[in-house]
Amino acid sequence: MGHPLIRRIDVSRVSTNQKGGFRRFGLSSFLSRLFELLLPVIFISASGCVSYTLNKAEIEQLLLAQQPELALEQLESKKVNGRNRAVYLLDKGMLQRMQGDLAGSNKSLEEAKQLGTQLSAVSFREQSTAMSVNDAMRSYLPPLFERTLIYCFKAINYLELQQGDAARVEVLQLDELLKQNDGFYFPFARYVSGLVFDFNNEPDNALIAYRKAYEAYLERLKPVPVLLKQDLLRLTDYLSLRNEHQKYVKTFKLATWPRQVDVRDNGAVVMMVFNGLIPRKHSQEINSQSFNDGQLYRIAVPYYEKRTALVRSAQVRVAGSPLNTQALSENFAQLDDFAEAALTEDMPKIIGRAVARVAVKNTAVNKAVDENPLLGIVLNIATFVSEQADTRGWYTLPQEILISRTILEPSVDQTLELDLHGSGNPGARKNWTNIHSRKGQMQVLSWYWSESIVTHRTP
Amino acid sequence: MRTRLPVVLFCLFGLSTLQLGCSTSVDRIAVDEVTDLSGDWNDTDSRLVSEEMIRDALSRPWLGRFTAKYGKPPAVIVGEVRNLSHEHVNVGTFVGDMERELINSGEVEFVASRSERDEVRDERRDQELHSSSATAKAMGQETGADFMLKGTINSILDTEGKTQVRYYQIDLTLISMADNRKLWVGQKKIKKVVKKPGLRW
Repeated sequence: MGHPLIRRIDVSRVSTNQKGGFRRFGLSSFLSRLFELLLPVIFISASGCVSYTLNKAEIEQLLLAQQPELALEQLESKKVNGRNRAVYLLDKGMLQRMQGDLAGSNKSLEEAKQLGTQLSAVSFREQSTAMSVNDAMRSYLPPLFERTLIYCFKAINYLELQQGDAARVEVLQLDELLKQNDGFYFPFARYVSGLVFDFNNEPDNALIAYRKAYEAYLERLKPVPVLLKQDLLRLTDYLSLRNEHQKYVKTFKLATWPRQVDVRDNGAVVMMVFNGLIPRKHSQEINSQSFNDGQLYRIAVPYYEKRTALVRSAQVRVAGSPLNTQALSENFAQLDDFAEAALTEDMPKIIGRAVARVAVKNTAVNKAVDENPLLGIVLNIATFVSEQADTRGWYTLPQEILISRTILEPSVDQTLELDLHGSGNPGARKNWTNIHSRKGQMQVLSWYWSESIVTHRTP
Repeated sequence: MRTRLPVVLFCLFGLSTLQLGCSTSVDRIAVDEVTDLSGDWNDTDSRLVSEEMIRDALSRPWLGRFTAKYGKPPAVIVGEVRNLSHEHVNVGTFVGDMERELINSGEVEFVASRSERDEVRDERRDQELHSSSATAKAMGQETGADFMLKGTINSILDTEGKTQVRYYQIDLTLISMADNRKLWVGQKKIKKVVKKPGLRW
């Protein structure tokens, strides 16, 4: 059951895809009884989720102090069980890239990606346990926006490592994922695809990706970054798509944009700043007690806190160049929007499971009360306490992704200065020395700045 | 409660059996045995492609014509084989398989690739300084390649639900170093149907 079924076929044969679908399962009376019996054991094992959440709080504090190496040590110091493995790998991959271990980051993210694929299969055991205890008893399956970001961060890692073909593999896989979810618009992912094709000098494919990014921004009713507008103008001009180019000229009303010849004859540095921290989920509980028999009831659902990144923009300039040549960053992705949208979409299912769980738990308590009232009370308290919302998430993600692009004349030993605006912290600046820019070569650099404050923690 | 005791014991026994089943097991198998686990590009694909492509390359007229004209086997260098597929394919093993097949055929000679050459040249420079004149190898005696082998690995995916059709196309081209003529173009296609499980434990 664990491995996919693979059939090698003759390429000359015509094949037709079978339509996929999910089988539905009902809880058999035997298993229902079994889980009822094992409930107390499961409650004890559920306590692991609490320690994992505490660990996350410590990691958050270390990230706010700009200490990803200590955060990684903290993450790796705790034993992570099977159902939290995916979120552990996501955090590990992110912390590794924050301290420059890009190859290690790709290894962790690839493992998380493979695990996510495996976990998309239905586990009857986990579903049953979730129906008996709480949603956190299931393996963490990253939501679609997190799965999309795995490909994006892997592609960015490869670009930083100057491995264009490997980055290309990631964006092809990303395209496949987005094709399977055609109602999901993630402009940043499409923009990263465009960057990868641009990096590999494939202007036709880059244009297709930039077009999709543009459409996704419009679909999400978000402002289109000027950099993206410039890319669309540059490539439609270069590929002689006159009607489309004129349409963009009229729509964007930009006075200037870099021509393809500028890109070919100069180097470029794409700077990405991963700003702030994505908000955390908390548990909101609704408690009540029966007037008839005194039984306790609880329904718990997750909600997101509100968080604000302190840095508002980033500026990049070549050391010694005039101030008017600095490149200003633009916000390409507001990841908390995606996180909240994912939770909102999932909420009907979460509530449905929570209500069903109340019924399952109270049936178990009623049976226990009939046999032994004391056992019934203990079980009622256990079922009440165990009802916790699933607050797991990829919390090392940034809240925003700021991007700027700087055109560099071919030269050796240049220094790039990055200034972050909005933070009162004097450390919010970084220099990259020994930058060698070559004709037509794109270099991708990135930094993270987690400084952010929680503005609203109540539901 | 007494009636439930056997059920609990049965469950605990079942769980412990599952734990025991998780221990590592190793089976040694023949390297040419087909082992498809994930459906991704694997050693079988690499081997099948390299064997068939090289068999095709060696059976075409370019080889006979060159040997007849110059009286020696052609020297070939492997250029870039780009992975443009959806998967992280280890191009190194694929190229290694091809080199082995070509060299072992005895009909073609291979010269070191660009990265290998640099290392060899460093060693030769080192020999000039440190080896005896009788054993040191002189610079400027390398064999220049007559042909360069270049290629791409492409793929097309078609997915519906848990079923995916993976189509790989490997294109190799042999280019004359003297005049850029393409003397042989090889193509190998592989098609797989991968069905992912809908259930897991």
